[in-house]
Amino acid sequence: MIKVLFFGAAADMAGTRETELEVEDGATIEEIWPLLVRQHPDLTPMRDTLAFAVNGEYARGEALVSAGDEIAVLPPVSGG
Amino acid sequence: MFAIVERSIDVGALIDAARRPDCGAIATFVGTTRIDESGGASVEHLEYEAYRPMADRKLEEIGGEIEKRWDVGHVSIVHRLGRVDPGEASVAIVVAAPRRGPAFEASRYAIERIKEVVPIWKREIWSDGYTWVGSQVGTRDVAAGEPRPSRST
Repeated sequence: MIKVLFFGAAADMAGTRETELEVEDGATIEEIWPLLVRQHPDLTPMRDTLAFAVNGEYARGEALVSAGDEIAVLPPVSGG
Repeated sequence: MFAIVERSIDVGALIDAARRPDCGAIATFVGTTRIDESGGASVEHLEYEAYRPMADRKLEEIGGEIEKRWDVGHVSIVHRLGRVDPGEASVAIVVAAPRRGPAFEASRYAIERIKEVVPIWKREIWSDGYTWVGSQVGTRDVAAGEPRPSRST
């Protein structure tokens, strides 16, 4: 299982701040995205605006994910 | 000092903590809540949330970047979460340096980097709903910053 966290507008669109997913070891973020969208279809239009983090560090779509990882779905940041 | 807090930021204390005998300049940037208006509605307050501890670590990384690029004696960055009312500080940056140039430049760099890389999000609470800044997602029936569509035609 991996833990997926949603923040800001992504939490709004997902309707939750956290979910869990069963993924195969060696899956990439790109491969996990369709599973997330199946659970939370309203996220679909946000795809191109989102960044991801794996275990607290920015990660590209090809980044590998394995059991126990924490994935964060990050809309464009707007601090300051 | 790099910190994310859920209470008001004591800017004076941050400036006092930056005073050093080898520094002749302290530059301070304070970001505050501004009341925007559009379509007859206005912003009532802001609400911030963060992905921690990643956000805390990113603030420290910005401090490290500054120390590599400029001759500075002290850097503090404090960002507030939760509700921030008009005129209150959401972020404070204090840079002490031997000379004013690096102090100004480094404080500007810090706020620009915060807006690029620190996982913190701001929601504008308007009198008629809310908007996530940067995502155009929310409960207002008009996009942020755009005039309300005319109903006269």
